[in-house]
Amino acid sequence: MSAPAVASLTCPQCGAAIELRTLDQALSVVCGSCGSILDARDPNLHVLQEFKARQKFEPQIPLGTRGTLKGEKWEAVGYQVRGIVVDGTTYCWDEYLLFNPYKGFRYLTQYDGHWNDVQVIKAAPDEHTSGGRPYILLHGETFKHFQTATAETYFVLGEFPWQVRVGDTAVTRDFVAPPRMLSEERTPEETTWSLGTYMPAAQIWSAFGLPGKPPHARGVYANQPDAYMPLAGSMAKRYLLFVAVIIALILLRLVTASRETVFATNSAFFRPGAPADSLAFVTPSFTVSGRTANLEVTTEAQVDNGWAYFEYALVNETTGTTYEFGREVSYYYGRDSDGNWSEGSRRDRAVLPSVPAGQYFLRVLPEAEVPTSFLEYRIVVRRDVPTLTPYLFCLALLALPPILVALRAWGMESARWKESDYAPSSDDDDDE
Amino acid sequence: MKHPIYTTFGALLIALLVVAELRGWTPMRPTEVKNIPRSIRDNPGAYRPHYRTFFGSGHYMRGK
Repeated sequence: MSAPAVASLTCPQCGAAIELRTLDQALSVVCGSCGSILDARDPNLHVLQEFKARQKFEPQIPLGTRGTLKGEKWEAVGYQVRGIVVDGTTYCWDEYLLFNPYKGFRYLTQYDGHWNDVQVIKAAPDEHTSGGRPYILLHGETFKHFQTATAETYFVLGEFPWQVRVGDTAVTRDFVAPPRMLSEERTPEETTWSLGTYMPAAQIWSAFGLPGKPPHARGVYANQPDAYMPLAGSMAKRYLLFVAVIIALILLRLVTASRETVFATNSAFFRPGAPADSLAFVTPSFTVSGRTANLEVTTEAQVDNGWAYFEYALVNETTGTTYEFGREVSYYYGRDSDGNWSEGSRRDRAVLPSVPAGQYFLRVLPEAEVPTSFLEYRIVVRRDVPTLTPYLFCLALLALPPILVALRAWGMESARWKESDYAPSSDDDDDE
Repeated sequence: MKHPIYTTFGALLIALLVVAELRGWTPMRPTEVKNIPRSIRDNPGAYRPHYRTFFGSGHYMRGK
C-alpha cells in the first residue's frame, strides 16, 4: 500500500479537522473531537447524529495505524464498541474496521483480550438443524450454533462504509468451529454473514507495531482453539501404542516364564488344642536355581466356613537370609434372603520378589479356626512365575498423562459452552 | 517426534518394567532378616518372626 491518501475536512459541528482515509468508500465519518457522526457523501458533511454515546472509549489500535496482517497492509480506519445484554449484564466488545484500497475492508474484534480477524462472506451459508439445534456446514466444517443476541452499538469513531449510528441494533447469531466463527447480523434492511478466525493478541500487537504487551486474555472465548483436545487425541494414540508393546511383553513373559516347581508338600492341621508354637515345622531343603527371580508360594487349605493362617519364613541355608511373611486362607459361604453367597478363597498366592538362587527351606507355623479338628493343606513353591501386577501398574501410570490432558480439554470445552445459549444454567433459567 | 516427553516417559517406564520382570521385582515386600540362628531347623517353634504384617495380620475375615 502506498502512502495514505487522506482528505482533510472540517467538522460542521465543532470545526475540528477530520481526516477521511477511505475517501469515496466512506458513507459516514465520526468527528474525533465532538463525536458527531457526519454524512461522508455530503460535501457539507451533514450531521447524521450528534454525540450520543454515554461513555468515550479509547481504541487499543489508534485509528490511522497501519500494519501487515497475513502478508497484506491494512490501516485502522474505524472503531466501534458494541455489546449485548444477557441476564441484565452488558457484555461489550471492540470492532476495528481495517481498510486496504485494493482489498477493501476487514475487521478485527476484541473481547476480554481475545481477538478475531473477520471478513464478510458474500453468500449466505446453508443452515441445518440437528436435535433442534442449528448448525452450518461451510467449507467442510460444521459450525455449531453458539449464541443468539441483540447487539447494540454503544460508541463509534472513524469512518465507515455504511451509515453508522450509536444505538444501532442488529440480531446476531454466532456459530463456532474453533478457531473459526461464523456470524450473522440481521437488521430489517439486510442480513450479512462474516467469518472470523481467532488470532493471538501478540500477533495483532506485532502486526500493528503496538507498544507494550497485549493484555492477557480472560476466560475461554467462543472460537478459541482448544490446544488440549488434539493433544489428548494424539496422546491417546501413543498410549495405544504403549498398550500394544505391553501386551506383547505380557505374551512374551507368559511364554518365557519357567514356572519351575521347586518344592511342594501336603500336610494337615489336626491339633487344635495344642500350643501354637508346637505346630511349627520346617520343610526339607530345596534348591532354587537360575537367575534371581520371583518366588511364588501357593497355599491351598480345605477350609469350610473358617480360616487358616500360615506364618512363613523362607530361609536361605547358606546366607541365613530369611524372608518372613504371613498368609491367610479363609472361605465362608451360605445362603440368605439374597440367595447364595461366598467370601474368600481356599487358595492363596504370594509372590516374593527377587529371590536369588540357593538352598532354602520353609519354616511354617499354621493356625486355624475350623469346625472340624482336621484341616488338609498344600504348599507349593515355584520360581519365575508371571504376574500381571507390574504390567497393570505400568498401564495405569502411562494412562495418567493422556487422562490429565483430556480432563483439561474437557474443562476448556465446558468453560466455552458455559457462555453460550446451551449452558446448563441457561437451561435452568429458561425453565423458570 | 510427537510428544517427546510422554514418549520418553513411556519408554523409560517400559524399560523399567522389563528390568523389573528380569529381576523378579514385585510390589510386595516381605520382611527380610539377615543371619537368623541356625537353631531354627532344630526348634522351629521357638523362632519369633520379625514381621508385623504382610497381607493379613490376624484380622481374619468373617462370614457375611
